[in-house]
Amino acid sequence: MCDNTNQNIYLPYLATVEEIIDETPDVRTLRLVFQDEQVRDNFRFRAGQFGEYSAFGAGEATFCIASSPTRAGHIECSFRSVGRVTEELRRLEVGDSMGFRGPYGNSYPIEEFYGKNLVFIAGGIALPPLRTLIWNCLDLRDKFGEITIVYGARSESDLVYKRELQEWQERKDVRLVKAVDPGGNSPEWDGKVGFVPTILEETAPSAENTVALVCGPPIMIKFTLPVLEKLGFSDEQVYTTLENRMKCGLGKCGRCNVGNVYVCKDGPVFTAKQVKAMPLEY
Amino acid sequence: MQKYISEQNLNTLIDTLIAAGTRVVAPRMSAGIPLYEPLDSSAEMATDLLPRRSAKEAFFPVCEEIMSYEKEGQQIKLTDVDPARFPETVLVGVRPCDAAAIPVLDAVFSWDYKDEFFLERRRKTTVIGLACTTSDDACFCTAVGLSPVESRGSDLFLTPLEGGGYACETWSEKGEALITSNSALFSDLNGAAPMPLAAPQVDKIELNKVKAWLDEHFEDPLWDGIAVRCVGCGACAFVCPACHCFDIVDEGTEKAGKRRKSWDACGFWKFTHHASGHNPRDLQPKRYRNRIMHKFKYYDDKFGQTLCTGCGRCVRICPVGIDIAQIIEDISRKD
Repeated sequence: MCDNTNQNIYLPYLATVEEIIDETPDVRTLRLVFQDEQVRDNFRFRAGQFGEYSAFGAGEATFCIASSPTRAGHIECSFRSVGRVTEELRRLEVGDSMGFRGPYGNSYPIEEFYGKNLVFIAGGIALPPLRTLIWNCLDLRDKFGEITIVYGARSESDLVYKRELQEWQERKDVRLVKAVDPGGNSPEWDGKVGFVPTILEETAPSAENTVALVCGPPIMIKFTLPVLEKLGFSDEQVYTTLENRMKCGLGKCGRCNVGNVYVCKDGPVFTAKQVKAMPLEY
Repeated sequence: MQKYISEQNLNTLIDTLIAAGTRVVAPRMSAGIPLYEPLDSSAEMATDLLPRRSAKEAFFPVCEEIMSYEKEGQQIKLTDVDPARFPETVLVGVRPCDAAAIPVLDAVFSWDYKDEFFLERRRKTTVIGLACTTSDDACFCTAVGLSPVESRGSDLFLTPLEGGGYACETWSEKGEALITSNSALFSDLNGAAPMPLAAPQVDKIELNKVKAWLDEHFEDPLWDGIAVRCVGCGACAFVCPACHCFDIVDEGTEKAGKRRKSWDACGFWKFTHHASGHNPRDLQPKRYRNRIMHKFKYYDDKFGQTLCTGCGRCVRICPVGIDIAQIIEDISRKD
């Protein structure tokens, strides 16, 4: 439908909400199943790609595909309700219909990561763009070296994917370091207390044969990159995803550019080297 | 192929086309404003008027439906637009600056994903350009490498002749086909001289120098200096033949409605405003910088073309007198 061969590139696929998971008081995950059987069978995407999600009558909103390409049959998105479209998406119930256009944009070059150690660093609501890749890698576990996940949020209730954090914590082949900001913890909190850059420095993953994948609010990225540099990571070893307001997702509507780079077409996945070469417009 | 057509025969051609069901779009007065609009008859055509907006809306309307939805319980039905809504069209009396912008827009609407709303109209449209015999002090096509007789983007190009009528030159198969199927209306050129052409009083600007400066000056005091006046009204983008940024919005109720694609402008604050509250182009100078950068650097980086044809509409309409021609000329003189 909305691939390169379709006449109308703005026409979404229809999908049914199969499951709703409340991650935090204001972050929700929707599991979607495409209604057209052929689409369901043939839909392929790569970790890092995004889509335009429709709440008909309200419009479209842009999020990454938060589920792993290794889990076929459905896709998932996780979003915070902050605007007209996300408020409408939040009203949807199991069995309701919505729209999806995609997958769009580039993706993580996962094949280049084979044989390497991976360090995932995420803050708050920015775990979804890494979660797709985390599960992708865990489902191909023997292709990678050590896997470390450093994830922090303001408070315990702001941590998303709590069930999966539990699962990663219990796995022997993953090192999960979870943290909340000072003051965000209850007496029972079994993780660390501190900001992500500090926790990362304490965790001190080796930069040797390692790729770091960072996603978080601008302030977290700003303080995390120098820590990675200190740990010996070069800018080519560090990947992140950018987001800007988008409408078409197709390199036409003209608003997501950072300088001459279109986040929707050239991104959303970039190396730290590429990001540092861009003007400050994200 | 070069032919002659009299004014009367051009009118006959238009009326014949209209009678055959072809949409003929030309400059006409529309509620007191000159616009490129479909004609009911050739008598409405007013080629001496410069339309307030450009000819791009013949391919890229101000606002158009891209699909509709209906809800029934938990089910949704989507209806695609009917391609038949894009009629065979002949655009007549198109200014060279407007015609030249059409192939510039082809680049963005056809790279990678194909926007058939633009491209299907493009395929179904024949463009008849018209040389300019008058210009005003806002015209600057000659500054950006075009001219009052630029035929780029035209399938047929008309040049007014002394003593009346037009020299008619074909620039594409579409143009030839139009002459061939109406051959009785055309004759051989009679040797009459062309009317004196418009001569905009601006010198050619070295656009490569403009781009070279922009390549290095994302951060520069210039942007604050220009944009301190800009009120962010977006009028410049709306009258521009090459601006193509758009919004996608739903209009309707919970039960049924339409999704529309409509013109947008990078001068608007909300254009880049994130749901989080963050805005990468939060101040007017950043937004105006994007306008200049997009036209004279980014579009060139991506498609090897300049996103400005010197029509001067933004200069005429700007409520605070921002003159893009002056800005790029100043930039071209910088070291």
